[in-house]
Amino acid sequence: MTKSTEDIKQKRTLWQKIIDQLKPYLLALFIAFFISGIIIGLLGYNIFNAYQTMLFTTFYSRRGFIETLIKFIPLTFATYAFAVPFKIKFFNIGGLGQMLFGATMTAIVGIALAKYNLSSLILIFVLILVALFAGAFLALIAGALKAYYNINPIISTIMLNFIALYFVNFIATTAPWKEPFSGHPMTKKIPEAAILPKLFNQIHFGIIIVIISIFVIYFLMNKTVLGYEIKATGLNPTASSVYGIKMKNTLMVTFMLGGAMAGLGGGIEVMGVHLRLIEGFALTSGAQYGIFGVLTALLCQGNLLGVPVSAFFISILLVGADAMQRTLQVPVEVVFLTQAIIVLLIVIFRE
Amino acid sequence: MDLFTKVLTQIVSYTSIYTLASLGIIIGGRTGVFNISGEGIMLASASAGFIAAYQTGSWVMGFFIGALVGAIFGFILIYIHQSLKINQFILGITLIILGTGLSDLLYKSLIGIQLFAPEAPRVPVIKLPIISKIPIISAFFNQDVIVYFTYFAVIITYYIFYHTRIGLETRAIGEDPLAADVVGINVKLRRYIATIIGSMLIGLAGAYLTLAVTGTYTTNISNGRGFMAIAIAIFASWRPERAFLGALIFAAIEVISFQQQLGSSLFPYQFLLMLPFISVLIIMWLFRKKVEFPASLGKEYTRE
Repeated sequence: MTKSTEDIKQKRTLWQKIIDQLKPYLLALFIAFFISGIIIGLLGYNIFNAYQTMLFTTFYSRRGFIETLIKFIPLTFATYAFAVPFKIKFFNIGGLGQMLFGATMTAIVGIALAKYNLSSLILIFVLILVALFAGAFLALIAGALKAYYNINPIISTIMLNFIALYFVNFIATTAPWKEPFSGHPMTKKIPEAAILPKLFNQIHFGIIIVIISIFVIYFLMNKTVLGYEIKATGLNPTASSVYGIKMKNTLMVTFMLGGAMAGLGGGIEVMGVHLRLIEGFALTSGAQYGIFGVLTALLCQGNLLGVPVSAFFISILLVGADAMQRTLQVPVEVVFLTQAIIVLLIVIFRE
Repeated sequence: MDLFTKVLTQIVSYTSIYTLASLGIIIGGRTGVFNISGEGIMLASASAGFIAAYQTGSWVMGFFIGALVGAIFGFILIYIHQSLKINQFILGITLIILGTGLSDLLYKSLIGIQLFAPEAPRVPVIKLPIISKIPIISAFFNQDVIVYFTYFAVIITYYIFYHTRIGLETRAIGEDPLAADVVGINVKLRRYIATIIGSMLIGLAGAYLTLAVTGTYTTNISNGRGFMAIAIAIFASWRPERAFLGALIFAAIEVISFQQQLGSSLFPYQFLLMLPFISVLIIMWLFRKKVEFPASLGKEYTRE
């Protein structure tokens, strides 16, 4: 008798726990949509139509769903770029630059290897490594500047973003790489063998790479010494340095890990979607994936398992926003605003 | 006007963007509030200021709205930070994204896409008598009203910080808010005031972009200058007079690399456009040992 009531009690507390966990998110979503609804209304658009399009385009048609998955791939990588260094309370705003650099190096090496006729498997493997290392390299610059010279990574990563942006433009408009007869800056195509195979419709192999990466990151963070050190440093840097965890190394490793993810995201965009480096490829709905990556990571509070979930949610909004602009002429930037408000409220309610 | 004076005049004009923005960051930072949302504020103010000036036909209105938008952003930042204890950097990043979204949203829905980019009334240039005839120095006194306001703002901030009681108290809050609180300074209120005034200055810098530099609004018009302003504030060790010097250096790098880009084909122009951003990294590296920070910068203050 007493046991069963205890059971019920426990069950209830479990339910309450789940509800307590979800409450801030739901409340934040509700209020954020309310606020941006007012803004949409004030700008003279139909609020209900706008929301219907924004939230449900993904589920109305198969094309909508595929488009959502295609945005989901780079967005997840861009989110990891911020979320991993965020584990030790450092801000990597350089996801954009790392993504661009990963893509650029993938295109350069891909074009350079075209004449060797490598098999598809080897070439794709090599290019994935190139993308990983390129992203990690750019992030390492920022990480090392912080570790050794105490230069604020927010500033250094943003400066590297701009440097990477101009570097993309340079590669896409300069002789050995550029596509000779194109108006928009872009490089030649990467070799046929480097193209990621399509799984179904427009969904390319990148989705598998994303899933593998999610598992790898989870494994790294939860089942290895490195992950343990990162977590310990995040919780208490002073104590963990007393116990022999080198802060500098942890800092640089997390930055490299985040940067590698962003770089891979860029490389996959080149190999799976555009098949070449195109200036502005990392743009979606008028904004860079890098920026959305920061938002998405803040949305799940840097919880690494939450990254794919919130990336998928943001992808739904992004696809919806594009449709909203097409059909209702509501500027896509509304989504920007909504997301910033959602993040702000979630951060507030979580406290 | 010869080429040299022309370039120098342009540099001085750009200097006031950087000075106003970094001055805003410095004023907030001196009370311990690290306002990194400069880029977002500048974008939002550039857009809102432009729209206001375009609709009313008065540049004064443009700057007023620009400063107002800055004040609103500053208020959001300090209110949420102070009352709800949210990390300043997370808030700053969110506000940057908010400002970026808001800038295009406002422009697209209130002005729309037009065949010819609409132009706002520009800030009038005032030549000071006599002094604007002297070579070289004339470049500093053949400027618009906002540039003169910038000189004034730098001097007055310097004076307040280092020659008045309020300034001493403000700096004390930045170094040790608890000690300041003990001697009876209202730390919370001071942080509110400093952050809001600082954000208004950043807002002016944003409005200056559309109302003086270009006359039109384009997407992402501030192009990283809000972040460079943070670098200038750090490089200047949070001192207003050094911020002016830093702003002059960055403005010179930007204007000269832009001029070079138009002129020569010797060097790929993309690398010249990278130069301002690379130089931020180099300058921060060079001055890494010389910079000082207010001790409580970025940290929240509670009485417990």
